[in-house]
Amino acid sequence: MSVQDFADWLYGTSLSGSIRAVGWLIPAIQSVHILAISIVIGSALVSDLRLAGVLATDETPATVVKRYLPWMWGALGLLLFTGLIMVLAEPGRTLGNAIFWIKMVLVVTAFTLTLVFRKPILDPEFRIDHAIWAGATRPLAWLSLAMWVAIIFCGRWIAYA
Amino acid sequence: MTLDTLFQQLYDSPLSAAIRENNAAFPWIESLHVLAITLVFGTISVVDLRLIGYPAHRRGARQLIVDLLPYTWAAFGLAVASGGLLFASNAVAYAHNSQFQWKMLTILAAGANMVFFHLTAYRRIIDWDDALPPPLAAKIAGATSLALWILVIFFGRWIGFTLSIFS
Repeated sequence: MSVQDFADWLYGTSLSGSIRAVGWLIPAIQSVHILAISIVIGSALVSDLRLAGVLATDETPATVVKRYLPWMWGALGLLLFTGLIMVLAEPGRTLGNAIFWIKMVLVVTAFTLTLVFRKPILDPEFRIDHAIWAGATRPLAWLSLAMWVAIIFCGRWIAYA
Repeated sequence: MTLDTLFQQLYDSPLSAAIRENNAAFPWIESLHVLAITLVFGTISVVDLRLIGYPAHRRGARQLIVDLLPYTWAAFGLAVASGGLLFASNAVAYAHNSQFQWKMLTILAAGANMVFFHLTAYRRIIDWDDALPPPLAAKIAGATSLALWILVIFFGRWIGFTLSIFS
């Protein structure tokens, strides 16, 4: 079964049809998706700028990350949920689109990087300057931000590719 | 000269034509616009939540505002610039679109709310800088701001679904 076959089958299901039948639903779901990505990028911005040494350097990295990391995970849940509804409603437009898959790879990568390089900071025993990757903290912070920006561009480009 | 004449002139301008005729121009400008608004909402929500009483990464509200508002303003500038180009590319149609009109009004309201806050409660911020919960005036300012910007995002998305090709 090809991706196209699967997308066609999914499009034909009553669930997919029901979502599309409610005119305001897809725009509303997209809007919630945009709000959720705003939470992610706002949280990432403050956390990454702190780790890059640009913002709030009078607060410890742990203090900053502690405030924003739970919101990133919460927003990710909302993004996956709203994203799933959009895929169910328009499977061909998403699953059949290379930009969608590039975005998914970026999303997995960005959140994996967040898990690996941000979560440990919350551990009171963790010393960020003693981490193996301590020297790469700043470049990694800028890379993280760049990835969120790329994800946002991919998100909009799905509609045009 | 009516507004419609002005919008028609904008539509007839070489800049507007260039955006319309280049297949990639509109998507790139629109993506930049989306990035800008996520940064506006992303940063302002941290301040607004603090005003409502949800703690931020620092205790003092004043320093938080001083830290973050430059980023909000820079993002807003990018949103206006990119939004202006998007508008120019199809000025008459957007101008006549109800959701676009509501979006502009809501942005104005958000601005008014911000000005009011800065002229009143913010003037006395030394009194309530560390206070959690913050005073009622701050909570109202924060909640109103959040609600209005959420509406801006909903209206913005709706334009794409309601734009008429007939103007």
